[in-house]
Amino acid sequence: MKRILIVDDAATMRMYYRSILEGAGYQVDEAVNGIEAMEKSLEEPFDLYIVDVNMPKQDGYSFMSELRSRDIFQAPALMVSTEAAASDRTRAYAAGANLYLVKPVKPDELLTNCRLLLGEVNQ
Amino acid sequence: MALIKQKPTEIIEQCERKQARDCASLELQLSDPSPSARRWAARDLVECPDSSAALIEQLQREEDSSVREIILTTLTQLGDEEAVAGLVSCLRSEDANLRNEAIEAMKLLPDEVAPIMGQLLKDADPDVRIFAVNVLESLRHEQVEEWLNEVIEHDAHVNVCATAVDLLGEVGTSYSWEALEKLKARFPDEPYIRFATDLALKRISAS
Amino acid sequence: MATKPISQEDFLKFREFFYRKTGIQFEDSKRYFVDKRLIERIEATDSGTFRNYFITLRFETTGEELQILTNLMTVNETYFFREEYQFKCLVNSILPEITAQKKDNRPLRIWSMPSSSGEEAYSIAMYLLEYWPGISQWDVEIISSDIDTSILAKARLGKYSDRSIQHLPKSLLNKYFRHNGDDYQICDDLRNAVEFTRVNLMKASDVRSYRDFDVIFCRNLLIYFDDLSRRQAADTFFDALNPGGFLCLGHSESMSRISSLYQVRKFSDSVVYQKSKGAQ
Repeated sequence: MKRILIVDDAATMRMYYRSILEGAGYQVDEAVNGIEAMEKSLEEPFDLYIVDVNMPKQDGYSFMSELRSRDIFQAPALMVSTEAAASDRTRAYAAGANLYLVKPVKPDELLTNCRLLLGEVNQ
Repeated sequence: MALIKQKPTEIIEQCERKQARDCASLELQLSDPSPSARRWAARDLVECPDSSAALIEQLQREEDSSVREIILTTLTQLGDEEAVAGLVSCLRSEDANLRNEAIEAMKLLPDEVAPIMGQLLKDADPDVRIFAVNVLESLRHEQVEEWLNEVIEHDAHVNVCATAVDLLGEVGTSYSWEALEKLKARFPDEPYIRFATDLALKRISAS
Repeated sequence: MATKPISQEDFLKFREFFYRKTGIQFEDSKRYFVDKRLIERIEATDSGTFRNYFITLRFETTGEELQILTNLMTVNETYFFREEYQFKCLVNSILPEITAQKKDNRPLRIWSMPSSSGEEAYSIAMYLLEYWPGISQWDVEIISSDIDTSILAKARLGKYSDRSIQHLPKSLLNKYFRHNGDDYQICDDLRNAVEFTRVNLMKASDVRSYRDFDVIFCRNLLIYFDDLSRRQAADTFFDALNPGGFLCLGHSESMSRISSLYQVRKFSDSVVYQKSKGAQ
């Protein structure tokens, strides 16, 4: 079962993603910021990350950069933010994200993109 | 070799003692080339009530995150009007880390930020409005629920409303029922709004 | 009138809040454990309902009630070799890394706080002597601090009960302790190996001279502090550490709720926090 880590400080958003992803058969874990995400990743790496930008203590860009610099399994990452500006998209990719979505994300949008990043065929 | 005990000595290095620790020179040391010196200056400035302006100025150009963290801790402890105004200006920064740390600092100053929340919640920038709602999380103020209701009734931006709904799930009362129901009608094509609103309604009903 | 049982929604509300503040996540199976303690505190604070209690919890600026509740929710006994995996980490991973990069012959310095009755500091001392080969090449200084002078006196005395020593291997018990009636007295060699000092971690003047440490143990202390004090503590430890130095927190504590100053490091025995080697 593929493991997905949701990195977002908003509890409701984590619940929302969880309900969609668990419904689709994925195993889900959560972190409230980049530091917690790194702690969990070091214990056991994930297959996919969903990363919010604005979080306390360590934001999404900073976490992505750090994840990419570490000697652990480099899972694909979907970055999510309120910003729709092109510069934020570029920043996300520069930090090491694979996809950038603007929130709020609809369920099928989330699932399609997760499957894409996980290399799964679209059903 | 072994476990040893050394005589307790003054480990403070000479070079630090040579600079006087008065407020004016501490403010100057905020731009010392050494991050360690800047951290110590920022730390000691907690004793200097008029130093918020200098701290904010350095915060906005400081590149070392360890120094930024100490500056923010000191600003939080000073908590004067100038510090708060400076933190608000950080909400508009391009730097995600700085924005979010400013929110955290403001959350630790509920009484000091309360007077400006009304105006922040009406800021022209939707992201600033989102951050303002984030700050409300720690605010014990009779108007919080009212403000959150105003947001979900009038704010045009879906993410500002989403942030407000999230908080209403935790602090809301039956006062917010109607506004929450109306919110679903305001954003009929947003599954997240429906999800978050239903959750908030469930949490409120169960209290 | 007895307090109403905690509803499922209230439990979830509380769980989210507690996770946000402390990083501790309660599984559904912990329902009984959590509810019992919540009701205990609702009654102790005369809050009447969960709702009123929750408001107190959320908004108290001192964070006092959250600390009391956290205390109830976590296990906090002190005994020798408590959370032993971190001592293993110290000798297996931390000290080898530090000594490999050390450019001088000065002693290694370890700070343990709060000292409480001394079990942690003496545990570190024993572990180094027994399980760290490097002790034959390097001098190590152990300093252990607490705000409470009477507990420091107890620590210096080194007299312990059955409860404290129960997790020690027999061989170490026999080697380092003398059994006197109901007590176990730690030997003078160990008592002389640790420096116990009085320190108020929150007072800048107290901590200013605490520098050049290679490892700091601060386990199960910060979890009881409010947000700002925790942050100040993390800031203080940062400057107390050498670049490349390590900070060890308690098993249910995480820097994710405290500060972004440190790098998370995972060793086979434990997750610990490191001050960047390049930090100035």
